[in-house]
Amino acid sequence: MSLAYFVRRTIFAALALAALMTSAFILVRLTGDPVNLYLPVDASDAAREAMRVRLGLDRSLLAQFLDWAGDMLRLDFGMSLWHNRPAMDVVLEALPNTLALGAIALTLAFLAAIVAGSIAAVNAGGWIDRGINVLSQAAASVPDFWLGLMGVLLFAVTFRLLPTSGFDGPVYWVLPIACLFARPFGTLVQIVRGSMIEALNATFVRTARAKGARGKRVIFVHALRNALLPAITVTGDLAAQFAGGGGVVEVVFGFPGIGKLLIDGILKRDFAIVQASIFAVAVVIFITNILVDMLYASIDPRVRVE
Amino acid sequence: MTTISIGRSAKIGLLALSLAAGVAMPGHAASDKLSVVVTDEPKSLDPCDTDLSGNARVLRNNITETLVNLSPADGSVQPSLATAWEQVDDLTWKFTLREGVTFHDGKPFDAAAVAAALKRAQDPALACEVGLATLKGLVLTTEAVDAKTLVIRTDIVEPILPNKLATLDIGSPATPADTKSREPIGTGPYKLAAWTPGQSITLTAFDKYWGDKPAIQNATVLWRAESAVRAAMVDTGEAQIAYEIAPQDGTTANDHAFPNAETSLLRIDQEVAPLNDKRVREALNLAIDRDGLIGTIFHAQAQKAMQVVLPSVFGYNPDIPVWTYDPEKARSLLDAARADGVPVDTEIVIYGRIGIYPNSSESLEAIQAMLADAGFNVRLEMLETSPWLKKLLKPWDAGRQPSILQTQIDNTEGDAVFTLPNRFTSDGNTSSIADPKLDTLIADASKATGDERKRLFQEAFKYLAVDAINIVPLFHMVTIARVAPEVNYTPDVQAGNEIKLKTISYR
Repeated sequence: MSLAYFVRRTIFAALALAALMTSAFILVRLTGDPVNLYLPVDASDAAREAMRVRLGLDRSLLAQFLDWAGDMLRLDFGMSLWHNRPAMDVVLEALPNTLALGAIALTLAFLAAIVAGSIAAVNAGGWIDRGINVLSQAAASVPDFWLGLMGVLLFAVTFRLLPTSGFDGPVYWVLPIACLFARPFGTLVQIVRGSMIEALNATFVRTARAKGARGKRVIFVHALRNALLPAITVTGDLAAQFAGGGGVVEVVFGFPGIGKLLIDGILKRDFAIVQASIFAVAVVIFITNILVDMLYASIDPRVRVE
Repeated sequence: MTTISIGRSAKIGLLALSLAAGVAMPGHAASDKLSVVVTDEPKSLDPCDTDLSGNARVLRNNITETLVNLSPADGSVQPSLATAWEQVDDLTWKFTLREGVTFHDGKPFDAAAVAAALKRAQDPALACEVGLATLKGLVLTTEAVDAKTLVIRTDIVEPILPNKLATLDIGSPATPADTKSREPIGTGPYKLAAWTPGQSITLTAFDKYWGDKPAIQNATVLWRAESAVRAAMVDTGEAQIAYEIAPQDGTTANDHAFPNAETSLLRIDQEVAPLNDKRVREALNLAIDRDGLIGTIFHAQAQKAMQVVLPSVFGYNPDIPVWTYDPEKARSLLDAARADGVPVDTEIVIYGRIGIYPNSSESLEAIQAMLADAGFNVRLEMLETSPWLKKLLKPWDAGRQPSILQTQIDNTEGDAVFTLPNRFTSDGNTSSIADPKLDTLIADASKATGDERKRLFQEAFKYLAVDAINIVPLFHMVTIARVAPEVNYTPDVQAGNEIKLKTISYR
């Protein structure tokens, strides 16, 4: 892995980021101006116009864009209208929560899926396989808001084992993580199972067996290492989705993450929050992609990151 | 949700698991601590932004106070930071301020502090909610005669200045004049302890409060978007009061329905054919089975409305008949209009707003079906708040489609002047009626006092509902709060704007 590779990736990422931020600039403004949302219904037309002038929304789109582009180059994301604070401050408070939540849920899902998927593949066609299949299909298709509310009713209201919601210590992470865990787990089990079955039937496994390698070693070293590649690719995609926030899960549990921030930002036409969130999430996705590439290369010697 | 049964061993297993993880369960609240859960984080805790109910709920009469309060029972003006007031002449008012009141920062409460708060609220550069809404268009000049006497002069006759000042929360003179504050300092029974963005707001009792000491010493305000979660938090002891519980969640003995000062209605765009024909507007009202909506889509305790304010509002007219459900008559009115060449078969859009109240979409789906039954050609369009505001607020396209708009109007200020002028006069920015007779009525009523004022407002409400038929009134709405059984609290009509923490105690 060379320095040139990083430089090239960074340049491409910067160009993509510029295009993304430009479209974000245009798209948020297409959704209507925020003035009506921010002023009382009874506010006069003069007060509305004054606010437009104050926010610079009375100027041509081009003038607004040039100003905005200058601010972007200085990484100045402006003030959040709703929070009345610098938008990036608000985003950087929420982003670590979301990243930690997503990273934990995804890591657990990945590890659990490898175990469950491998067991299913080794027992392909048997009742264990069918049981894991039903479980993973259910996990992949259950709506997360339903799972969240059921989790609250069962573990908080009925058994009093966990808090319903909030953000006050490790125990508050359990239900959100469990909810976010389900879908990637279900998806990844299917993928691991499929690629494991393929790998177990591949010629290199037969060769390994013929050479006298023992059963478990064949499964977990020879076959699994090859079967992991598609799972890593999919996990990378899932990670990119998670970087954008746990969406519904954050809303249900009152978890102060970037998903809820972004949804509220869009609903409240808080342009600065939307743009700062998109920027921060895009940077995270860029870094994630590089990490996935590196992981890929370290597992499969045939892949060279160049 | 009835019962969920799970194997005992599984339960023990889960318990062991959480114990092993060193989990501390949220216990029941101590007797001087209270947590309240609302839907959203307040937008601002600046004392001048209390026109927005989410802000007022935290601030008003908890952290900051007003010169006067309105009685939740009858809307009458009650002393608070002012102990007496009188109208010296048409344009002059004199307020006597309470002795021995200090702000949380130790500064004395006096006439200069009130004058500063008023000036700040009306500063166009700050764009305060209170200045832009309740105090809009009113030029007020203040004179501190002495520390405890404040004279306020108005540019126009304002017979209900005290009602308007009931919305002006007074912050410390130390509140920055040129920017909104995130750290409100008031005279109230509680001071702000912390505002953790995205998570919670905590208040602690102010030990130098001028009034009775509150029973609750520490209060926390939390927010959760999901009604089922808010309700669950009271069950688990994480909160003692939860507001805005959806009807389907609010079915336990701990759920209290109370009128929230809102009246739901459909505003008719009566400038556009066929809605410019009064018979068509009457048919709209007759085609809706209001009794069928109560207890199904709307809460069983909602009251059928005949006008857009509650009986407790000054100027309410008790003599306007409630619309009956008469689809036959609606059909014949439409036929008669059709025979006269009115284009009654033109498609009419119902513009709804997602989440304006619980079951807002369902209510319009039902109404759409009722209108179709009566022979209307109606289409339903549910909008998010921002595009809905475009339909609510002028200017409107000249070539627009005929439409009716789902909205609700609240009046917590207790006088009809807070409802009628902007919504039903020719120059009102949300008014779909331009009728000189109504304009005159409302203008005269706004300047009048006493019985004359009441009579004119009553006439205006009648004109609007019966003579002009500009609206399809629906219901005086209720909302549900879940209150823990150990807590002594009954929400009143002001609970949408105020959590009166100092009145709450444990049983």
